[in-house]
Amino acid sequence: MIVKLERLEVQSHKDMEMIDITPDVDRVVSESGLQDGMVMAMTAHTSAGVLVTEGIECLERDVLAHLERLAPKDPPQGTYGYWHNRYLDYDGRLGFNAGDHLKSILGGVNCMFPVENGKVVRGSRQRIYFVEYDGPLARTVFIQVFGEGR
Amino acid sequence: MQPLGIDFHTHPVLVREMIARHPDLARTARETFYIGNNFQPLETFHLELDAAGLEQAVVLPIDATTALGATIYTNRQISELCSMSPRLIGFASVDPHQPDAAETLADAIANLGLRGLKLSPATQRFFADDTSVYPVYETARRLGIPILFHAGMSWEPGSRLQYGQPLRFENVAADFPDLQIVLAHLAWPWVTEAVALALKYPNVHLDTAALYFDNPQDFLRYSMTEALPLTVFERSLRRQILFGSNYPRVEIKNMARALRSLGFSDECLTLIFRGNARRLLEARRPGLLENEPPERKVLEGV
Repeated sequence: MIVKLERLEVQSHKDMEMIDITPDVDRVVSESGLQDGMVMAMTAHTSAGVLVTEGIECLERDVLAHLERLAPKDPPQGTYGYWHNRYLDYDGRLGFNAGDHLKSILGGVNCMFPVENGKVVRGSRQRIYFVEYDGPLARTVFIQVFGEGR
Repeated sequence: MQPLGIDFHTHPVLVREMIARHPDLARTARETFYIGNNFQPLETFHLELDAAGLEQAVVLPIDATTALGATIYTNRQISELCSMSPRLIGFASVDPHQPDAAETLADAIANLGLRGLKLSPATQRFFADDTSVYPVYETARRLGIPILFHAGMSWEPGSRLQYGQPLRFENVAADFPDLQIVLAHLAWPWVTEAVALALKYPNVHLDTAALYFDNPQDFLRYSMTEALPLTVFERSLRRQILFGSNYPRVEIKNMARALRSLGFSDECLTLIFRGNARRLLEARRPGLLENEPPERKVLEGV
C-alpha cells in the first residue's frame, strides 16, 4: 500500500487565471511508484480552486467569466452586498474578497482520478486546472496518491 | 491610459527571501505587524505591481525599538531588500525616542541608498509635534527627503487613536515649510481635517492607503466623493495626493482599481499615481553620494 502526499507550489500571475497542472499530477503519480489506485488534487486555499475541464483557452475564459458573473468581485450594492467586507482581526486586514471565496465554492476545490498500471486515467479532453480567483499569489496544491505499489 | 506609476505605501513584511535571511522577520510580521497572510516570494510583489499597472513601490520599515522593543525591518534590511529589486524604493525609519535619531537618519540616507523617512506615531508612541523630534525633521529637510507619517486610525492593539490626529501634524508643517510631509491613510477618520491641512500647507500631502470598512472601491468612493467632493482633490489638491495601497493589508491591484473608478481626470490620475511621488522622491539634495560620511554633509547644510 502506498500513500504519498506532495505539496505543489503554483505561482499565479494574474488576478484570475486557470493554470493547467495536469503534467504535475502525472509526474507525482509516476514518481510515487503507484501501480493501481487513486490520485487526488486539492487546493490549500479558499479563494482558489481545482477543477477539471477541456484544455482550451476559449473555455478557460468562459469558466472564469461565468464564475465572475455568478460571484462578482464587486456585487451590486444592497441585497447582494457581502457581509465579508469587514475587519478580520486574525488577519490584520479587511476581508473584501467574498466573491473569490464564493467562486472557489462554486468551481470546487478538488478532483480525483483513477490510476491504472502506473498512469492517470483521464478522458481524452480532461485537463486538471488550478484556478486562481484572487492572485497573483504563490499557492499550494496538495496532490496525494494512494493504492497498490508496483 | 496613464503611464506606469508608484505605490507610495507598502510594507514588505511577507517577502520570503528576506525571512529566509532573517528568520526573526517572520515573528515580527505576526506579532508586531499583526498580518496573518501567507509569506510570498518577492516575485509575487512584482506580479502584484504588474496586476495594478504600476512599476515601483516604496517599501517602509518602522523602528519601534523604544515603544515595542522591535523593528519592522531595519534600515539595513530595507536596503538589502531593495538591492534584490530595482522596482522597490526604500525608506528609512528611526526611533524618535533615541537621542541619535537624526544621525541615524542621515546615515541611512547617505550610506544605505534610502529615499525617505517613515514614522508611525501610533506604533512608535510619540506625538508628531513633540519638539524633541524636531532635529529629525530638520535633518530630513536638509537632505530633501519626504517624511511619510502614519496618520488617522491605527488598528494596532495597545495603540491610541490620538497619535494620528491630523492637527498633531500642523506645527510640523508650519515650522518646516520646506519639509515635504505625507499623511498616510487620508488620516481617516479625520479626512476633512487632513484636507484642511493640505489646503493650508502646500508641503502637506495625503496618501490613499485607506481602508477601514467595506471594500477599497466603496471606501474610497465614500471618503473622496461623498464625505468630501471629488473636486476638492481634483482641483485643489491634485499635486498633493499620492497613490498608496498599504500592501499587503490591501492588495495593490484592488486599491489601484478603486482609485481609478472614482472619476478623476486622466491628468489628475497621472499626478496621483506618478507625478507627485516622483517629485517628492527626486527632491533629494544633490551631492549626497553613496558612502559619503553623512555628518559632513549635514554640517555643511547640503
